[in-house]
Amino acid sequence: MVQNLVNSICPFCGVGCGIGLVATDNNIISVHPLNKHPISQGKLCAKGWNTAFGISRHGRLTHPLMKIDGKFREVSWQQALSHIAKSLKKFISESGPQSVGVISSARATNEDNYAAQKFARAVLKTNNIDHCARICHSPSVAGLKKTLGSGAMTNSIDDVGKADVIFVIGADPTENHAIIGGQIMQAKLSGATLIVVDPRQTRLAKVADLHLQLNIGTNIALLNGLLNIIFNHNWQNEDFINQRCEGFSELKAHVAEYTLDKVAKITGVKGEDLVKAAKLYSQANASFLAYGMGITQFVSGTNNVIAVSNLALICGQIGREGTGINPLRGQNNVQGACDMGCLPNVYPDYQSAMDQKVREKFTQAWGTEVANFPGLTSLGMSHQAKDGHFKGLLIFGEDPVVTDPDRNKVAESFKVMDLLVVIELSMTETAKMADIVLPAASFAEKQGTFTNCERRVQLINKAVNPPGEAKIDWQILKELAKEMGVPELMDWKDSEEVFHEMTQLTHSFSGISYAGLQQNNGLQWPCNEEHPNGSRCLHAKTFPIGKGKLIPVDHAPTDEVPDSEYPFWFTTQRLHFHYGCGSMTRKSPLLERETPDGLLFMHPQDALDLGLKNHQGVAVSSRRGCVETRVEISDQVSPGLLSMPYHFKEAPSNLLTNNAMDPGTEMPELKVCAVKLVPLPENQPPRSSELSDVGIGEQYA
Amino acid sequence: MLNHSYLLKDLDILKQHLAKFYSMVQIEKDANGEERWTDQSDPDTVGLFGHKHLPSTSPKGFLFAEKEALYKFDGETFESITPQVVPKVLFGVQACDLTAIAYQDKFFKQDPYYQKRRENILLVGIDCESPCTNGFCAEVKAGPHVNDNTADLVVSRLTVNGSNQLAEWLVIAETEKGQNSIKGLPLDKAHKAHFILRNRLLDKMRSEFADYSYINNAIEYLNDNAVPQHLWEEMSVRCLSCSGCTNLCPTCSCYSTYEIAEKQPDNVISETKAVKTETLRVWDSCLFEGFQREASGHNPAQQAAQRVERFWFHKFSDEYLTEFQRYGCVGCGRCEQTCPGTIGVHSVMKRINQECCS
Repeated sequence: MVQNLVNSICPFCGVGCGIGLVATDNNIISVHPLNKHPISQGKLCAKGWNTAFGISRHGRLTHPLMKIDGKFREVSWQQALSHIAKSLKKFISESGPQSVGVISSARATNEDNYAAQKFARAVLKTNNIDHCARICHSPSVAGLKKTLGSGAMTNSIDDVGKADVIFVIGADPTENHAIIGGQIMQAKLSGATLIVVDPRQTRLAKVADLHLQLNIGTNIALLNGLLNIIFNHNWQNEDFINQRCEGFSELKAHVAEYTLDKVAKITGVKGEDLVKAAKLYSQANASFLAYGMGITQFVSGTNNVIAVSNLALICGQIGREGTGINPLRGQNNVQGACDMGCLPNVYPDYQSAMDQKVREKFTQAWGTEVANFPGLTSLGMSHQAKDGHFKGLLIFGEDPVVTDPDRNKVAESFKVMDLLVVIELSMTETAKMADIVLPAASFAEKQGTFTNCERRVQLINKAVNPPGEAKIDWQILKELAKEMGVPELMDWKDSEEVFHEMTQLTHSFSGISYAGLQQNNGLQWPCNEEHPNGSRCLHAKTFPIGKGKLIPVDHAPTDEVPDSEYPFWFTTQRLHFHYGCGSMTRKSPLLERETPDGLLFMHPQDALDLGLKNHQGVAVSSRRGCVETRVEISDQVSPGLLSMPYHFKEAPSNLLTNNAMDPGTEMPELKVCAVKLVPLPENQPPRSSELSDVGIGEQYA
Repeated sequence: MLNHSYLLKDLDILKQHLAKFYSMVQIEKDANGEERWTDQSDPDTVGLFGHKHLPSTSPKGFLFAEKEALYKFDGETFESITPQVVPKVLFGVQACDLTAIAYQDKFFKQDPYYQKRRENILLVGIDCESPCTNGFCAEVKAGPHVNDNTADLVVSRLTVNGSNQLAEWLVIAETEKGQNSIKGLPLDKAHKAHFILRNRLLDKMRSEFADYSYINNAIEYLNDNAVPQHLWEEMSVRCLSCSGCTNLCPTCSCYSTYEIAEKQPDNVISETKAVKTETLRVWDSCLFEGFQREASGHNPAQQAAQRVERFWFHKFSDEYLTEFQRYGCVGCGRCEQTCPGTIGVHSVMKRINQECCS
């Protein structure tokens, strides 16, 4: 058997490491690291090393399936697509295009995502298009749009090595963005100062110079507190503020009430540590700030992002090498799915869907009328379904039943939809609930592009053929457009043609071609006439909105706080070894073996108080649901705080999480809620919450 | 040795000759500049040779497959799955990787899957001409010249700075297989002078290596159990259990087996219902927490510090000398490049040396 080697990009997190796929006999058997890749430089994390398992033939969907009398049966593509097209047309004619929608995938390529939003807007005539950025970085997109005018990572990943101070807040990069996490540890070894702000004692917190272990949900109080310290010591960057910012005096006056004592009390962080952090961050030549879900997944998500932005702007730690505001993106192509306009309010390159001129431009270019009413977010579609106003949904490569907050509600809304189509690699919890499941090609089975968190558009290449009859997302949409009677709208011959069409309609991508990507090992947008070689660092001279906006924001309590009935704080986290809903990483026997016996992390003191042994079963409940699992005693969490990873369908943390939302973005408060806990008898194993093979049973009928 | 040594003007003559009998595996550079061992390489492609081109992935996988089926069960009988092999020549293997293959030959002596591949591979080694990035083969006696009895054929360039003094290449047939492989090639015999020149070039090259004395110092501290516990703990915080070091290490040989059942999910009605299982093995890593966890849940190496210490012990302990006659580390330095946590061999040995010296 011959080994073929094909270079591609890792399909897991947003770091975008290079991987060499080793294929024999049309199977990926392993991956190799790529020494010449500009980001990973010969390194990979455990997930990346185990990529081959995630897309192996075993357990893959190979034929379209239709649920008939409660069982899935294999059908032809023609049968499946014709049924979908007929149903969608019926819903649109009876209830209008508001009644249908598409959820695209942050795991899929830019080409797939461009096709998905075009299908929604040009074929279905709806702006009901969304994807999982809703529950990861929608507050970054919204918050940084307000303060800077652009929601992406401002700097490049290798700026970590050029920083004097690295400030990580609400992010656990060694587990979730391991190669960046490694670069941070390396920078610290080489002399950079590392400050970690996190309610958990993460791996980075262990090696940090300063760990501010704040009470969960007190980010704004802490950040405002740092600002007040900076103003009191005159540590702000006056030149930068005068030339590049507006709203200084209002902000300064606003944060004056965040006195050291008050902030120390709210956050639980010692005043002297706050002063140290404020001094280090503001006085360094270059401070690199990175953040993650510990900033965004709160009802105050957008305000948290604004507070982060205020700190960087006041200290002038932006627009230069080694600085910046750097949201670490979760999925391999969540940046790209946003860039491609898989959001209800924007077309590709963040062109506003509410802008008449933009709509005219796309009407002209696509040769058809486009959607002309505001779209719904994914959670909005769910809500409308429950009210009977939303009928048909296509979901590409997402598993909201596992990954979205308040699983029972999510599942209920899928149950009442007239048509749920899931396009997937394997039978996920969400796919089990579908009326039709279509087999999709994995990243190793197609060509296309992913955009990583530093805005680098990178080529992926086909190494093997898709299994059975599986197809690429954009091809499925092309076929469906044909079935809907508009074949001319999406008649592409290959992914390069899709990409080319996109570059003709956007400014940031207008200078990018497949040839250019191949030649340069990827290109960072904006890449156009002004920036022919792409852009390593944004906002060097000016912000897209001119001056940076300093916007006062206030600390507000989380939606739920512990009380006598639900006495514990509860938060969510990820594990180095698993990814998202686990549908890929859990196919690796090695990674599966790394899953801890207990999925509920608890401080030793709490375990002692409750008389719990390590790995003893417990029932955890919130106001929304109950889940049984085992405890894992760990000093990673502080007393009173419980933490749970969300990758496991047997013990889905999202049965517990709160769907109270950040008002502007509908970001649910996944990072915190209140729970109670009842120990199970010592030898009683926890009950699994995995769905039955055909989804939710009678209890939701 | 002199009896089986020859001179060669152009290496391509040897390659083209071997390509008549063997499928060619050599180091090629791809469009991204990545250098790697390439299966079924076109013999007309000019391969990359020597110290400048040590691929990040060693040729280990051509012998000890990264993932392979061992046997299957159809509900009634078990059937071994023998690897399908064709004769291959690995053309231009560096001394470190050859030393590692010789080490693995011992470990997998009884392993039919490894041996089936091994028997069908001809190893053509090449003497390196200067130190490579991160390489310290000389320090652990794995190179830079090919060790005796680790290749079937060895090629060594005798030209210095491009000037042709005696001959272009010295070719040494180290095994019968090697000798047979060049039958029919009209080659002049080499003389003692050629070997003297080869040794002179080796001495010159040894002096070009950086000062890696910290490695041998650290080996001593390791064997004296002098490395303080807190250092293992500090270093192990940086181990993400990614498995990169063990995957790239040319002597790491741990594997795990798992079974896959070929069965449709219950919720799909389909014609085929028979349950068949296949047992596969994959490369494993002793840095994973679950590697040594026992069925009861007990784990003798539960702490990352224990696992990190064990890994380096396996690479440098005198305890393995009886079994393998050498250390488990061949000085290729690949772990230094691939470790996201900066605890590859140079980083670790430097820290041990610093800590124990002070």
